[in-house]
Amino acid sequence: MRRPITLAAMALALCLALAGCGGGGASTAADSKVTLRFTWWGNADRAARTEKAVAAFERANPGIDIQTSYSTYESYKQKLATQAAGGDVPDLIQLDYRQISQYAGSDVLLDLGTQRKALPTEDMDSGLLKTGQVGGVQYALPMGVGTQALAYDKEAWRKAGLRAPKPGWTWEEWADALRKLKAAGYERPMTDPGSMEDWFEVWLRGQGKRLYGADGQAAFSAADLARFWAFTSKLRKEGLVSRAEDTTQMAGSVEDSPMGRKRAVAEFNWDAPSAGYEAMYGDRLALAPMPAGPDGTPGQYYKPSMLLGIAAGSTHPREAARFLDFLLNSDAAADILGVDRGTPVNGRQRTRVLPKVTGFQQQVAGLQESLEGKLKDPPAAPPRGDNGLQSTFQRDYDQVAFEQASPREVAEDFLTEARTELRP
Amino acid sequence: MDEAAVLPRQRPAPAVQGGKRRPKREREGAAWVFLSPWVLGAAVLTLLPMAVSLYLSFTDYDLFDPPSWVGLRNYTQMFTEDPRLLRSVLNTLLYVLVAVPLQLALALAVAVALKSMKRGKGFYRSAFYAPSLLGASMSIALVWRALFNDGGTVDNVLGSLGLHTGGWVNRPGWALLSVALLTVWQFGAPMVIFLAGLQQIPKELYEAASVDGAGRWRQFVSITLPMLSPVLFFNLVLQTIQAFQVFTPAFAVSGGRGGPADSTLFYTLYLYDRGFTASHMGYASAMAWVLLIAIAIVTAVLFRTSRSWVFYANEEGR
Repeated sequence: MRRPITLAAMALALCLALAGCGGGGASTAADSKVTLRFTWWGNADRAARTEKAVAAFERANPGIDIQTSYSTYESYKQKLATQAAGGDVPDLIQLDYRQISQYAGSDVLLDLGTQRKALPTEDMDSGLLKTGQVGGVQYALPMGVGTQALAYDKEAWRKAGLRAPKPGWTWEEWADALRKLKAAGYERPMTDPGSMEDWFEVWLRGQGKRLYGADGQAAFSAADLARFWAFTSKLRKEGLVSRAEDTTQMAGSVEDSPMGRKRAVAEFNWDAPSAGYEAMYGDRLALAPMPAGPDGTPGQYYKPSMLLGIAAGSTHPREAARFLDFLLNSDAAADILGVDRGTPVNGRQRTRVLPKVTGFQQQVAGLQESLEGKLKDPPAAPPRGDNGLQSTFQRDYDQVAFEQASPREVAEDFLTEARTELRP
Repeated sequence: MDEAAVLPRQRPAPAVQGGKRRPKREREGAAWVFLSPWVLGAAVLTLLPMAVSLYLSFTDYDLFDPPSWVGLRNYTQMFTEDPRLLRSVLNTLLYVLVAVPLQLALALAVAVALKSMKRGKGFYRSAFYAPSLLGASMSIALVWRALFNDGGTVDNVLGSLGLHTGGWVNRPGWALLSVALLTVWQFGAPMVIFLAGLQQIPKELYEAASVDGAGRWRQFVSITLPMLSPVLFFNLVLQTIQAFQVFTPAFAVSGGRGGPADSTLFYTLYLYDRGFTASHMGYASAMAWVLLIAIAIVTAVLFRTSRSWVFYANEEGR
């Protein structure tokens, strides 16, 4: 009796294994709908708005089905690189300014000039359009404009007798504000900015320097980085910025950061992603400009908050272009997305959206308006290899914050690694 | 659950007998047909990727451009100019030396206690085994992070006793210990194997020993340990190999960076970091091969030492 059953079981397993291999393709071939895959990074709020926009597009284009998926930036970055290596890039992808050089230079992205009819760009800011070009070819379109910001709790600011920071306030004035907050009873009021390359760049630009030179190499010295880290370390020892134990836990989402965990009342972040604090601080949440250099030179800049591109290997580039056109140029999408991915690049949408935003998005619009015309040109797209350096920067700062090595020693180490990673 | 369920069945394979025997070649053909899903799987999903990874380990490959041959450069770089690699090796060794002995000791202690239990044995065995089923998952690692974080449950409980810890996972000296504890907590799998081994020890030995007046400790040292040594050896090899490859808990507890201050940067985590964060797939592949060879060496050493302490009752001429 045993043997027939065993044989039957094995045959069944074989059938299942074979069916498993063929299953995926069969079901999509059956319906005639065009299916596009669209992946991005972001939080739950962005997901809700994006799904709404996708649904509106699908209603207007019943022949197109858009499958979406999203994750945090760190895992998104790694997954996309793996998909690119395997030749399985989703039709529509969201890219960071830091990824453009790599993806455009590796034939992963479609030349959007081939879809000009479906995807007009006349209404978009020409300076910003350039951020999606490599070698004169438009590989991606910026979705919105963002800038660095100080997110803070208005209530704490008021109790410390501080006024809302104005554009041009300096790093010293920022440190003094922290001292007043501490005097008002807010122990370690600010998240230590030393672990993020983004804030170092703002500090550096305030002194008229920059992160990368035209040759794609680091354009700052170990002494520059050591001075920045010595500055943040002094603040940490004064009890003004977060402890090493809290700083080290930051992993790219608001939930892991000291302010998100209610251990601090102020934190640097990008403007649109600061929406994540709203759940905890409600209308006490405010945005202010970043501190500037000693002579008032602004360090922050307008950056494409993210760009959208179409995979070179997409089998439906025309439909993908139509979806991009909808997201970037249509009133319907603008009304749904607001300034969630930064203020729109399309001038017409910008004037339509800015006066209408509500809640926290008003803070974003207000900040960008207050900085209008005051900032310097954004840096060129970061070179390949910069991607990994962002993580190195944060990891290396652990050594400084836990006082395992001096800022100078760690800064030398960082530059050594930067030189290897950035080799052409 | 019944004891036999965890032991390999020792039923003899049904021999092909009876009237007309088919030619041998034909029977082998049928065997291959039935084996094909697994053979194909092993070839395509295991052997082929291994061969590719061996090739990549001699190249510079960033996932975007085609790999370029660099000979032994990845290997020489590993051994001569990568201080973080050394750090990751030391972290991994420390972790293996802490987690494996603790886990095995706990598994053995619980197995001995369970063996002499009269009632509720099945319930406790399942309860202790459960963490082994859950432990490898990301969600448990995240729960662990929340438990041992600053302001987490462990901190609060100890804090109410006046021992404010300030969290474990966020401090360089303690983070590795919290990851090791997660491994120790999953002692269920070796425990079940120990339990099965304990059942195999003949009762007469204990009866004879108590007649001779040996106490429980003496019985444990002179009968249980030697009789159990093959099972102990099996568990030791298995858990050591697993511990060298630990990844998920360290990844989750440290947010993927091996922090704080590289204190949980295990070898596998650094391998992942080189491959997927820094996009040096060639270097990561070389690291993977060095790990494979290192584990093979450690296992060989364990086998060698086993000759002096593992006792196989059958061989010793019973």
